[in-house]
Amino acid sequence: MPDPMLPQPQPDALTAPFWEACRRRALEVSACDECGHLFLPPGPCCPRCWCERLTPREVCGRGRVFSFVVYRRTYHPAIPAPYVVALVELEEGPRLVSNIVGCTPDEVAVDMQVEVRFDEAGSFTLPRFVPASARRETT
Amino acid sequence: MSRSAVIAGVGHTTFGRLPGRSAWHLEAEAAAAALADAGVRPSDIDGLLTDPGPTQGIVDGITPHFARLGAQLGLDPDYSGSEILGGAGSVAIIERAALAVEAGLCEACLCIYGDSPSTNDGAYEYGRGDEAAFGFFGAVGLHGLAARRHMHRYGTRPEQLGEVAVAARAHAARTPHAQKREAISMQDYRASEPLVEPLRKLDCCLVSDGAAAVLVTTEERASDLRHRGIRVLGHAQAHSLSTYASPEHFDTLPAARCGPVALGSAGLTPPDIDVLLLYDCFTIVVLLQLEDYGFCAKGESGPFVEGGRIGPDGSLPVNTSGGLLAEGYGGGMLHVIEAVRQLRGEAGERQVANAETALVSGHGLGMNTHATLVLGS
Repeated sequence: MPDPMLPQPQPDALTAPFWEACRRRALEVSACDECGHLFLPPGPCCPRCWCERLTPREVCGRGRVFSFVVYRRTYHPAIPAPYVVALVELEEGPRLVSNIVGCTPDEVAVDMQVEVRFDEAGSFTLPRFVPASARRETT
Repeated sequence: MSRSAVIAGVGHTTFGRLPGRSAWHLEAEAAAAALADAGVRPSDIDGLLTDPGPTQGIVDGITPHFARLGAQLGLDPDYSGSEILGGAGSVAIIERAALAVEAGLCEACLCIYGDSPSTNDGAYEYGRGDEAAFGFFGAVGLHGLAARRHMHRYGTRPEQLGEVAVAARAHAARTPHAQKREAISMQDYRASEPLVEPLRKLDCCLVSDGAAAVLVTTEERASDLRHRGIRVLGHAQAHSLSTYASPEHFDTLPAARCGPVALGSAGLTPPDIDVLLLYDCFTIVVLLQLEDYGFCAKGESGPFVEGGRIGPDGSLPVNTSGGLLAEGYGGGMLHVIEAVRQLRGEAGERQVANAETALVSGHGLGMNTHATLVLGS
């Protein structure tokens, strides 16, 4: 059982569909029906053209590490250090904050290719990322 | 004599761990000190602008900070408000006060920063928001992403961040009121606890209780007061609110946009600046600003700061009072006050010779906000 103390996402009307998709093990971004722009986080309109007609779009789940940090101090008892937090840039363009798992912190590098992996965490499913090569080896 | 904006008074409390004194107590003390420095009475104040610190303004913000402080100080000003811009807030309220007095909306505008994190969690509380589920806590994580990018793109080394930390303590050693006056060496920096790599504890600013206040008025009004006013020569803001979606967010600060505007309205360029006070919540932010304000080329701030260049004996002293890293977390208002002291020639042992111009910056939230102030004696 995951630690019940683990900080949980706090979905609102805008972000609830993203987290519901994660539960189905699908990574979704918002797509603008007008200009085609793909973006995260979900919002009330397209941040490029302000069109309000948006459709969730499942993405392939591959991306690269845009930047990352290694937490060496434990700030929350449910999330023991060391662990890696990265800003992942998806192949389709949008970026999101996540963890890099499936390798040691010292193996993570900027521009490393990664793939999504869904982890159960309390009542949520978190989209985390593993090195793309490691993923291939295990499948 | 004109309606041009000047700074006529400055004051602050001790900075450090001050349990038992609320932010309201501290702000009242700083306000009284600024008024005494200027030589004005509470009844002369007709403007009140506030920058509530991290535990007061960013999270709660339900009762507007200026309204409660104004009631406590017995003020019914003609112009008032709070700015919630994180670390850009103090510089931004000086700018707003300058605009207000120049427009004739008020004549003596008190600008106050204050906070009391030792008795209030506020923004220092961990574990909220969707990103907390991934363990992404605190401003240190976000600035670590920027530091990692700089290292990746330009080969910047930890010791080059360390130069900023060492310089801050060396400046603070010459600042009687600074919170951390003990000098540190590069060896101390290397041995500093890694918190969120690539950032160590000594890359991070202090957490401080304290308050700081500045009185902005017109040049004409200041002519009757204790000090010749320090002139507000230029000011500007720029923001990067799209954050992760922005192509530049972690690599170039909005300072690159508002710096030239503020300097341009003062008719100055970076080499004309005598005193440089850069918001320094984390060492990496000082490196980025040296580049983005044009004190060195993009990507070259690491080598630029080597050899103590920004320390007390260097060719470009930065944050002569120690800044957020060593003087105390003053939200940026202590940076403004140090600029005023340098331009008045009151900085004692740390006085920059013939200081006539100063640039002060503020930077805040998730690297989203930026404000620039150019002052002249």
